[in-house]
Amino acid sequence: MSNILEITNLTKHFGGLTAVSSLDLHIAKGEILALIGPNGAGKSTVFNLVAGVFAPSEGTIKFNGHTIQGQKPWDLCRLGLARTFQIVKPFAAKTVLYNVMVGAFLRTNSTQKAREKADEVLVTLQLDHMRDMLAGNLTIADRKRLEIAKALATDPELLLLDEVMAGLRPTEVDDMIGIIRGLRDRGVTVFVIEHIMRAVMALSDRVVVIQFGQKIAEGTPEAVTKDENVIKAYLGGEYDAA
Amino acid sequence: MSRKQLDRTLLVLAALVAFALPLVVTSPTYLQILILLFFYAYLTTSWNLVGGFAGVLPLGHSVFVGIGAYTSSILTLQYGVSPWIGMLAGGVLAAIIGMVIGLPTFRMRGAYFCLCTIAFAEGIRVMVENIDNIGPLHINGPRGLLIPLKDPSFWNYQFMSKLPYYYIILILLILVLGLTWFISRSKIGYYLAAGGEEPEAAAALGINVANYKLFAMAMSCFLTALAGTFYAQLMLYFYPKGLMGLDLSFEIAFIALIGGRGTIAGPVIGALLLRPLNEFTRIYLSDMLPGLHLVIFGLILILVMLYLPKGLTAPLAAIYDRLARKITVQGDAK
Repeated sequence: MSNILEITNLTKHFGGLTAVSSLDLHIAKGEILALIGPNGAGKSTVFNLVAGVFAPSEGTIKFNGHTIQGQKPWDLCRLGLARTFQIVKPFAAKTVLYNVMVGAFLRTNSTQKAREKADEVLVTLQLDHMRDMLAGNLTIADRKRLEIAKALATDPELLLLDEVMAGLRPTEVDDMIGIIRGLRDRGVTVFVIEHIMRAVMALSDRVVVIQFGQKIAEGTPEAVTKDENVIKAYLGGEYDAA
Repeated sequence: MSRKQLDRTLLVLAALVAFALPLVVTSPTYLQILILLFFYAYLTTSWNLVGGFAGVLPLGHSVFVGIGAYTSSILTLQYGVSPWIGMLAGGVLAAIIGMVIGLPTFRMRGAYFCLCTIAFAEGIRVMVENIDNIGPLHINGPRGLLIPLKDPSFWNYQFMSKLPYYYIILILLILVLGLTWFISRSKIGYYLAAGGEEPEAAAALGINVANYKLFAMAMSCFLTALAGTFYAQLMLYFYPKGLMGLDLSFEIAFIALIGGRGTIAGPVIGALLLRPLNEFTRIYLSDMLPGLHLVIFGLILILVMLYLPKGLTAPLAAIYDRLARKITVQGDAK
């Protein structure tokens, strides 16, 4: 299986702070990869680097074999790399349908076609019954779904999901796991940042753990949760003796 | 009758009333008030393309009115070019200058953007006031330009009565409203609205927000400048302080905010309310205090923002929706 994303020696400094340091990471086509780590580990920075919000200080990012570091978010989206935001950013004054159509317009100039595409995506994400509601009036769970719907409407090959489970109730988490599995079945490669371990365990083929911007473990969910370094990172070094 | 048919019938009816109005309103004074009403509705609709849809608040659009007026008038006075051609030249020049202003300022958000557009606009006005000649072009400093009477004809953009001016501005208004309608339903409109509301989210969906804003700015400035030529030919005299000052820029923004920013009908509804008010206060209250009409505008703006933050169009549209539903349901029952 070929790699859709290859990150080599990725480093990002913010002034004196090194948010990401010499990170190597790859995602195979059709895989679900989870990036986990304690708060402030640099997960969102990795996403922002891959999605083009920041240019990396060092290192290369290859998407489908093309070098993409330093390219702008809108160009990357056109290449097939879409993302959601940890703090959801709906176009609150517009309807759900309008929000998703904005995404769908990337691949068409026709309003009619964009509407059809958006309707299709809304059905996939089980949002079709609220297509005419204002996005600002949705519950947090529906806003997270809308966030995915917007990204999905751009027809991505690789989807970056930044904590789409955060703030959801357990049943809603189960729904979301189903939805993300469904995306993979449609051929979308999924790269998630997630804190809810139950979801990480259920979803991911592989997990990468980072701390202080460095990779400390990588492997199947089961292997990673038994890793000593990971346990230390989450619980702190002094728990060693216990 | 379906909803679409009802909408269409009412629109056609409104257009017919507008076209037939001069049959009833024959006094030149009242006709002039109507012309200025449409003139402001046109200006605000043009402004709305960037100020409404693109979600920024430019407060220096009078400069583009000035660019339109000066370009066509100088071309007519010094080179004998028809104002109609000068009008297009002014539009193109305004679009270019608008993009030059937009390039650095669109990076800013909120109040900073407003302040920058004011600074640019005032800067250009002060320059025009203090320069008599730019190379071979005679702009006559603070005294402004006087357009001498010529044979009244369409080509000369001068007419014996107010009536042709009325129809020219009415047709311009209908065209720009049509353009707005088209844009709001097309990709550009969706992209502008998205970029205006959440620039980061829009960028992540493949939208180069700055480019779309620049495009909207160019369109808006082009259309605004056309109105400048119209004003010059209507009045046959203009000067920088009257035409390019902040009063005009602010009035455009007032009309948009009170009528409803980012809506198609908003600028027209705003102009319908504020223009007569403006004329009334100017006629009856200007002896007391010049500029009082702007104070009254400000008061209305505060009230509207407090109680109808989306402007007058949203509640009016809701009322119309309810009425329309009743009518169409009754119609279907029959």
